[in-house]
Amino acid sequence: MSDPLLSVRDLRKSFGEEEVLRGIDFEMDRQDVQVLMGPSGSGKSTLLRCVNRLSEPDDGTITVDGEDTAAMDDDDLRREVGMVFQTFNLFAHLTARKNVSLGLRRVRGFAKSEAEDRAGEELERVGLADQADSYPAELSGGQQQRVGIARALAMDPKLLLFDEPTSALDPELIGEVLAVMRELADGGMTMLVVTHEMGFAREAATDLLFLDEGRILERGPPTQLFESPEHERTATFLRRLTDLEAGQHG
Amino acid sequence: MAESDSRSAGSIDVGNRYDPLEALGILAGALFWGWLLFRWLNDWFGGLFVPQSQPFLSPSLFEFFPALAFAVEFAPALASGVWLTVLLTIVGIALGFPIAIVLAGARVYGRATRWVALGYIELVRGTPLLAQLFVLYYGLGLSSFIRELPGVGTVGVIPEQAVWIAMIGFTINSAAYQAEYLRGAIESVDPGQLQAARAIGLSQVDGIRYVVLPQALRYAIPGWTNELVYLIKYSSLAAFITVPELFNRASSIASENFRYLALFSLAGLFYLALVLTATNLMSRLEDRVAIPGLGTSEGR
Ligand SMILES: Nc1ncnc2c1ncn2[C@@H]1O[C@H](COP(=O)(O)OP(=O)(O)O)[C@@H](O)[C@H]1O
Ligand SMILES: [Mg+2]
Repeated sequence: MSDPLLSVRDLRKSFGEEEVLRGIDFEMDRQDVQVLMGPSGSGKSTLLRCVNRLSEPDDGTITVDGEDTAAMDDDDLRREVGMVFQTFNLFAHLTARKNVSLGLRRVRGFAKSEAEDRAGEELERVGLADQADSYPAELSGGQQQRVGIARALAMDPKLLLFDEPTSALDPELIGEVLAVMRELADGGMTMLVVTHEMGFAREAATDLLFLDEGRILERGPPTQLFESPEHERTATFLRRLTDLEAGQHG
Repeated sequence: MAESDSRSAGSIDVGNRYDPLEALGILAGALFWGWLLFRWLNDWFGGLFVPQSQPFLSPSLFEFFPALAFAVEFAPALASGVWLTVLLTIVGIALGFPIAIVLAGARVYGRATRWVALGYIELVRGTPLLAQLFVLYYGLGLSSFIRELPGVGTVGVIPEQAVWIAMIGFTINSAAYQAEYLRGAIESVDPGQLQAARAIGLSQVDGIRYVVLPQALRYAIPGWTNELVYLIKYSSLAAFITVPELFNRASSIASENFRYLALFSLAGLFYLALVLTATNLMSRLEDRVAIPGLGTSEGR
């Protein structure tokens, strides 16, 4: 039996008086794609940010590949755990290629030409080889998010975190980003994804976690949660999502 | 940071179109600076072409137009003052800049250092520049210390101690103002970008260096233009600690010939030329480093 790739034990985090995460426990095996859903403010972003320690947990243990993240150097941890943001957060003054190569050069120590070649390959992987020399402001939202994914991939992470990667996108641009994510999932990437895209959850997720008021209220394979949720709150939330999606597409 | 090639920021490319007014401006600027440079060279090397402070052409050639004759006669003496005005401005900006980066960084990202930086900035911005110059010149024993340094005021182009004190004063002063412009610019860079930098493993310092600052420095250009314009004009306060810069030269010549209005008008024209040069160069710089797709501050 091999260790889980990611293990989160009794994770707690407060901001001031407000306890945002109240004891989170879950594990991810290699090649798992776990989708995290939950109402706004339930702590999904905070949970992801604790995993790569952009936010320092108050309590609990997080291990990646058996290593306690509290004992790891930030740069080592973040090479292993990549992150994709809701608002893309591309470096506005750099071309797509340089967005991807910056980490290669400054963190992984690649020489300039090596880094740029590798960046070109990553951009090709997300279908943007022809936009390598464009600046973020010259790209559509969907293209920007794909650069964001390429930037994370370039670090060769073992685990990729996605924080609502499509929720800032116009509906017609969501598909291209989901397609890239689907491809990564099929290719065996381990992914922890906060999203409310039901289709992606249904087709790509190995597990669905429902986060509510700082706790994982319910978890299981997507079909189980969609069809026979145990908790009324899960049912209500998912029903509302389904209605919303039907409204959008219909 | 100017790694961008000459791609135009938008679809309309105004930069390459021939503009007669702009060409005239460039010609006037070239003549003005060419003349200044010749004057400075001439005076530094003890009268290379004509005796120091003497015009290249005799003013009597321009007798038909008395104002012009006056300008030809006295502009050379003012030119040496312009040198000090330019020197004080450039030194103040250039040496103030690295200090400003540290101060602005401390203001935005520091904990205890934030208050130190704030104290410095408010102290400098809250007191008159003239008072600062007086304290440095009369108050701290700095004058006698600098005067004793080898070469000061006696060897070639090494300026005398008052100029050194003015340079120190303008550096201290400009650092505070530049820090505030920079702080505003740093805060206008979306903090999500620094997070993204840290999320790929860059340290906070590297994130600031490679991601935040290259953008903040661009956004600070309009502030710097202001600062340059102010420094050019406020450098005249150095006159009160005996630095023979442009204003000082004009008033000391006027005290001999009593032609105050004419001399200060002429000095005013020099200041205007310096300010126009500064604003023009800065707007060129701004266009040049504009991030494709984002436009310059004009468009924002
Ligand atoms: N840096 C922070 N400082 C203070 N409160 C925060 C911070 N980040 C998140 N919070 C609070 O924590 C709660 C959960 O936020 P978040 O994790 O962003 O939720 P979600 O991503 O599920 O919408 C919210 O009430 C939010 O206001
Ligand atoms: Mg969130």
